[in-house]
Amino acid sequence: MKRILGRVAFNLFAWTIVLVTAFPLVWMVITSVKPQFELFRIPPTFWPEQITFEHYARLLWETPFLLYMRNSLLLSTATTLLVVTVATLGAHSLVRFRYRGRERLAQLVLFTYLLPSVVLILPLYLMMVWIGVANSLLSLVIAYTTFALPYALWLLRSFMQGIPDDLENAALVDGATRMGAFFDVILPQALPGIISTSLFTFILSWNEYLYALVLVNTDEARPLTTGVMNMLISAFNIEWSLLMAASVMMSIPLIVIFAFLQKFLTRGFGAGGVKG
Amino acid sequence: MDARRAEGEVRFEKVRKVFGTNLVVRELDLLIRGGEFLSLLGPSGCGKTTSLRMLAGLEFPTSGTISIGGRVVNEVAPGARDVAMVFQSYALYPHMTVAENIAYPLKKRGVPRAEREERVKRAAESLHLTELLPRKPRQLSGGQQQRVALGRALVRDPRVFLLDEPLSNLDAKLRAHMRAELIELHQRVGRTFVYVTHDQLEAMTMSDRIAVMHEGVLQQVGTPSEVYNRPANLFVAGFIGAPTMNLLRGRAENGAFAHPAVRVGLSGHVTPDLVLGLRPEDIVVGEGPFESRIRLVEPHGHEQIAQLDIAGGDVLTIRADAALPLAAGETLRWGVRAARLHLFDAASGLRLDATCTAPQALAA
Repeated sequence: MKRILGRVAFNLFAWTIVLVTAFPLVWMVITSVKPQFELFRIPPTFWPEQITFEHYARLLWETPFLLYMRNSLLLSTATTLLVVTVATLGAHSLVRFRYRGRERLAQLVLFTYLLPSVVLILPLYLMMVWIGVANSLLSLVIAYTTFALPYALWLLRSFMQGIPDDLENAALVDGATRMGAFFDVILPQALPGIISTSLFTFILSWNEYLYALVLVNTDEARPLTTGVMNMLISAFNIEWSLLMAASVMMSIPLIVIFAFLQKFLTRGFGAGGVKG
Repeated sequence: MDARRAEGEVRFEKVRKVFGTNLVVRELDLLIRGGEFLSLLGPSGCGKTTSLRMLAGLEFPTSGTISIGGRVVNEVAPGARDVAMVFQSYALYPHMTVAENIAYPLKKRGVPRAEREERVKRAAESLHLTELLPRKPRQLSGGQQQRVALGRALVRDPRVFLLDEPLSNLDAKLRAHMRAELIELHQRVGRTFVYVTHDQLEAMTMSDRIAVMHEGVLQQVGTPSEVYNRPANLFVAGFIGAPTMNLLRGRAENGAFAHPAVRVGLSGHVTPDLVLGLRPEDIVVGEGPFESRIRLVEPHGHEQIAQLDIAGGDVLTIRADAALPLAAGETLRWGVRAARLHLFDAASGLRLDATCTAPQALAA
C-alpha cells in the first residue's frame, strides 16, 4: 500500500515537472498558429478556433528570417567542426602524450571557462577589428570557439581517458603510424563522445546571444537569436505571433539533430574488446 | 632456417629506463637467441613489462641499445620492427570483427586484399577461429579473445612474438590448456617468443630459458632446470619453486653450517655468515637427525604440505606423501638430502660454490 502511494506521488511529481516545462513550448506552438485577432482575446482560448499559417508565410517571404537561418546554420556548423576537430586532437594529446606541464595545461583550459563572457567581449571585439574580421560570421565562429573549445576539450578528455592505452599501442605495433592509429582505433572508440560534444557545441552556438549582439551589426552576419529579436521586438511593439512562429522554426533544427543523433549517443558505450 | 633464426635474435645492451626519478630497468644485458622461447619472470614492478615494451618500441630506453636481428632498433618505430605483441588486455579493436582484427596488421603493411583474406583464413584455421571470424570481440569469451589476439600476431609471421602476461585473465583450467597451445604454436612457427609473466609455473613449463628480474635488475638467466636447481642468489631461490624454498640463516662453524635446528657438513670455500636453502621436496620426512613440532598441515590430495616450528624461531615448510599420518601438535623426525641443498652468502645474497656433505646430529 505504502509502495503504491509512493509510486503515485512520484508519478504526480514527475508529471507536474514535465507539464510545467512543456507548457511554454506548447503555448509557443499554439500561439504561432492562431490568427492575429485571437491572440489577445480575454479570456484566452487554449485551442485555436481557427488555425492559420500566415505568420510562417510572412516570416519566410517578407522578412530576412531565412538569411538569419542560413547564418545560424553556417555559424553553428562551422563552430562545431572547428571546435570538435581541435578538441579531439587536443584531448588525445592531453591523455596520451607525456610532456611538461600537461596537467597544468588541462587545468588552465578549464580556468578560461571560468571567466564570464562579458569580460571577454570587448577585448575580443578589438582583436577582431585588428585582424580585420569584425562584423562577419568568421568573427562569431572565432568568438564561439573561445568558450566552446575549453568545455569540449574537457568533455573529450574524459572520454579519451576511458579508451585503453593498449588499443593504440596494439595498432602501433601492428604497423600503424600515430595518425593511423588515431583514425583507425581512437576515433571509432571516441565517436559517442565526439557526437555528444558536437551536439553540445552546436546547441551552444545556436542559442548564443550576447556575442552575436555585440560583435555583429549587419543583417548579412546576424544569426537567428539576435536577428529575430532585432526584427520583431522594438521599443514600441512586440510582434508576438511572428516571434512565436520564429521560435518554433528556430527549435526545429535542434530537434531534428537530436532525433537523428540520439541513437549514436548511447551506442558503443558498453562495447569493449578489452577484458580486465 | 638459419637465416630465419638469425633475424629473430634480440640483444639488450646496457639498457636503462628511468621514469622521472624512478629507475625501472638498470643496465639490462640480455641476449635472446633466435627462435628461442624466453620468459621474463619476476614480481610486479620488476621491470619486465617495461623491458618488453622497450623491445616493442612503445617505450624508449633512457640509455643503451636494443637490437633485433643484428640491427639497432632504438630509433625504429614499433610498426617497422617486425615484432608482434599480445597484450594482457588482448587489446582487440572493439569496432572491428575478428577477421578485421586479424587482417589489420596485414592491411597496414599493404598486403593485397586477396592475400590478406587467404592468410587470415589460414591463421584462423590454425587457432580454430574460423566460425568466429564475423563476430565482434565483445561477443567472444576470454579464451576466444585470447586466441584472436594470438591470431593477429601470428598472421604476420613476425620475427619476434612479444607476449605480455597473455594468460593472466583466463581461468585456471583454460590457462593450462593455453600453455600447451602456446608451446605447440612456438614449435610450429619457430620464431622468437619473449614472454612476460609473474607466474613461475608458466615460465617453467613453456620456456627454453628464463630471465628472472627483480627491482629492475636481471638476477639470472638460464634454463628452467638451471634456475630451479642452481639459483644464482637469494631472490631467485625464494622466487622459484612452490612452496617456496626454506631459507635458514646460520654460521659456518668447524666445517659445518650451524643453525639452532639444523647442522650440515660443508665442503668448499664459504663465508662466515650463511643462508642455507632447503626446498620442501629435499627434506626427508619421518627419519633423520632432527626433530620438530608440526605447526599445521595442509592436505593437497596427492601430497600434504606441513609447517614445522623449528628451534631458533624459524618455520620450515615440508612436503610429505599424502599417506603419512601427520597431525598438528605432534613431533616429527626429519632429515635433509644434503647434496641438493643450496648455500648463499648472507651478506651479498649470492650463491656459494660450496656443497653440503651430510646432516650432522645437533649437539644437544
